[in-house]
Amino acid sequence: MIIEIWTKEKYAGNEEASFIGRLAHAGLKIEAARLSRLYRVDAEFTRDEFDKLGSSLLTDPITERYSLSPGKTGLKDAYRVEVWLKESVTDVVGESVKEAITGVMGKAPGAVRFGRAYYVRCDSEVKLKHAVTRTLVNAVVNKFKIEKV
Amino acid sequence: MPTTLSAFNGLDEKELAELDAACGWSLSGLELKEVQRQFRKMGRQPSRGELETIAQTWSEHCKHKTFSGPVSFRDGGKVKKYKNLFKETIVKATKTLNKKWCLSVFTDNAGIVEFGTGGKWGLAFKAETHNHPCAVEPYGGAETGVGGVIRDILGVGLGAKPVLNTDNFCFGRLDTKKKLPRNSHSPERIMRGVVEGVRDYGNRIGIPTASGGIYFDDGYLLNPLVYVGCAGLIPVDKIEKKVLPGDLIVSIGGRTGRDGIHGATFSSANIDEETSASAVQIGHAVNEKKTLDVLMRARDLGLYNAVTDCGAGGFSSAIGELGSDTGARVRLEKAQLKDTRIEPWEIWVSESQERMILSVPEAKLGKLETILNAESCEYCVLGSFPGDGRLLVTHGEEKVVDLPMAFLHGGVPNFEKPAARRKVKISAAPPARPAGLGAVLKDLLAHPNVCSRHSVITQYDHEVQGGTAIKPLQGKYGDGPGDATVICPRAATLDQEDFAGFAVTHGFGPGVGRIDPYQMALHSVDEAVRNLLCVGADVSRTAILDNFCAASPRDPEVMGDLVLAAEGCHDAAMAYGAPFISGKDSFYNQAKDAEGKEYPIPISLLISATAPVRDVRTAITMNFKEAGNPVYLAGVSCRGMGGSVYNDMTYSGNNQVSPLDMEASVKLYAALSKAMKAGCVAAAHDVSQGGLGVTLAEMAFSGGFGAELDLSGAAAEKGLTPLELLFGESPARLVLEVVKEKEAEFLKLVKGRPVAEIGYVSEEPVLEALLGGERFFREDINDLKRCWKKELI
Repeated sequence: MIIEIWTKEKYAGNEEASFIGRLAHAGLKIEAARLSRLYRVDAEFTRDEFDKLGSSLLTDPITERYSLSPGKTGLKDAYRVEVWLKESVTDVVGESVKEAITGVMGKAPGAVRFGRAYYVRCDSEVKLKHAVTRTLVNAVVNKFKIEKV
Repeated sequence: MPTTLSAFNGLDEKELAELDAACGWSLSGLELKEVQRQFRKMGRQPSRGELETIAQTWSEHCKHKTFSGPVSFRDGGKVKKYKNLFKETIVKATKTLNKKWCLSVFTDNAGIVEFGTGGKWGLAFKAETHNHPCAVEPYGGAETGVGGVIRDILGVGLGAKPVLNTDNFCFGRLDTKKKLPRNSHSPERIMRGVVEGVRDYGNRIGIPTASGGIYFDDGYLLNPLVYVGCAGLIPVDKIEKKVLPGDLIVSIGGRTGRDGIHGATFSSANIDEETSASAVQIGHAVNEKKTLDVLMRARDLGLYNAVTDCGAGGFSSAIGELGSDTGARVRLEKAQLKDTRIEPWEIWVSESQERMILSVPEAKLGKLETILNAESCEYCVLGSFPGDGRLLVTHGEEKVVDLPMAFLHGGVPNFEKPAARRKVKISAAPPARPAGLGAVLKDLLAHPNVCSRHSVITQYDHEVQGGTAIKPLQGKYGDGPGDATVICPRAATLDQEDFAGFAVTHGFGPGVGRIDPYQMALHSVDEAVRNLLCVGADVSRTAILDNFCAASPRDPEVMGDLVLAAEGCHDAAMAYGAPFISGKDSFYNQAKDAEGKEYPIPISLLISATAPVRDVRTAITMNFKEAGNPVYLAGVSCRGMGGSVYNDMTYSGNNQVSPLDMEASVKLYAALSKAMKAGCVAAAHDVSQGGLGVTLAEMAFSGGFGAELDLSGAAAEKGLTPLELLFGESPARLVLEVVKEKEAEFLKLVKGRPVAEIGYVSEEPVLEALLGGERFFREDINDLKRCWKKELI
């Protein structure tokens, strides 16, 4: 299960502006962007249990929203860039979240991996891919995919 | 496993080289032959684990073969031979100076000097580089660099409590036009990753990151330099450590995984497109914090006899070092693993982070386990130190390593490296004077090597622990560029009545090094000492660290630069009475550019310095404080624009480096130190990058005051041009704001020294500089500040 968390629109201005600036530096002009965090939790939990993790452990309910169905951040007609550490790379955030989940649920998930998703409205997937590899992804440690949402 | 490994003893030179490349050992042909000879003598083939152990133990990173080896230096017709360059320069100065306040030098994970007045505490200080990992993965590389140097402080003596992190970086120009090779990162990206890595690790572990610098030069385009340092407090009675036969080997902290295999040998290799992901290490600050907390509690209860960190080389290096006299019996199946899909030899050499090795008497293991469990810190008992001088490593029934320690630590062959002085064409012609010196000043303030670093500095938590008395950003608006940081380490001493502190700063000048590596070393030491003086530290007790970075030592001119810089270090340390207490070197900082040509870094020497501040309440900051106070320039302005920011911006036609008069500087600083102690100085700022004009501008806009200045009285070398006076970077100069009521006392204390009044602090926010009747510039300080305050990141 992947739990996706993003900042509510009214609080997301700074992070989005900073992100747009970074991609502009890499030569990509984008109209709008949204950023989210991803937690891939490998566990035999029920949907209610995953909901509990999303709502009471991983999300700040005042400034953030979460979804168990990736891609619900509300930015339409955009590309979604999903970035993860390769499986062979130690994921310290994932490890910490795994410990926290064990504390909350009283049972340990098999693994937790941390990633990020970037929603980008721009005119070219090719240019986006180029900018992503120059700014967001290091091929030595990351894997990523781009899809239209 | 490479098929030729099992026939190692019979391989020819070419096959050995191929095997070395396939396994990533970075051993030379001579070293491989020596290993082969030793195993032939033993009458058996080596195991993979043994070869890996030898490769890391003999690596440049662990053995410092270049700096500690023999060198033949050719300078024109003269040849000078060194048996051990490091010992005959750096160590020699420290030994000759023989300062009683040096408590531990060059023997442990960090140098230690006395701290405070009660004789109870020592200050441990260490700086490291993590260049190659940062070139491959900037964020992870920087994080683990910080984690590693913190562990050096945790692993010095029986453990010091870290109270300060330092960070110095060299990147390619962010506006570079050079074409980068495929797979290399842009300087902007490297900088962002490195800054975020240093920030996240330091902030999460709760140690202030409060002293450092950033230098931009296209020489670092493919090989960024990332110097990270740490200072900590240790009780003087906890400095000695000794492994006793029978002690248990206990690993605490992080688990062992496949991350970071071959980090030690990787640092001896040029980076290219084939660089493997396995050299990447990932940091976990929270695990290191747990380790730190366990160590401090266990140390004070005397629960272990020795400790060291698992750095490059992992268990192999740490256990090998601790057991170098006693030998070690290691059972790798006991190790806590991240991943079970790992070969025994990989467990042995893995550089997984946040691990420390303790030498624990069996009777004290129970108490140690109680603390480890209370702090949720993972651990395992890996074996023991038997006292037979033999290193025996097994995994179940499999023998991984079985070697005599004497061969491992004493068997590395070394050979004489040729070194030669690089020829540099020097032009001593008077520099061309541009029109509009005010415009030049603004351009200099906006130059990447001068402009504000606030967008980086403010990402770091430099207040955590509550001891940062003089902060990296200073002045009326909290954004002025400080010369040094002053720490009052009460978080370690727990004495709320004690105001004793220490200052930390750096000196760095690769621009000078390109022209004259010897003068670069002198200038760097001088800059560091001068920075300490600017905050009111007791510079007669300066202790320094050397961190050399260079390209391939196989190039005689690179070795020549190193020899000259090392000689400069020796001479400067002797002149300033400032012993080196620790240091590190990093070679092979070169890579192939987009055209396939070798792209080496310039010789780079970071001098990190510390000196005591007896009472942090009396420390001085750099901004102008009060209108009407007189402004003085201390030191002689000398001819030469060599190595200056101005020359980087617009070549002036003069690349002569101003030589440093060390004897005069020491006398000047001693007099200024007395004046500072007497409370005569309200503000002090060194003249360095950008020259006098930049120093004056920074003091003005950081204080919100202007200044009316006439530089005609300044002490100057004959023939000095206005450009050299304003924007030349001749060393040993600082600008002082003197307390008006104490001006007479100040003049008495500095009598006979080159200290000249050059004007007054003014209420009007305008910086005006004249030379007799000629106006150099008249600029609004807010305009100057706007030029300077750029967002780097």
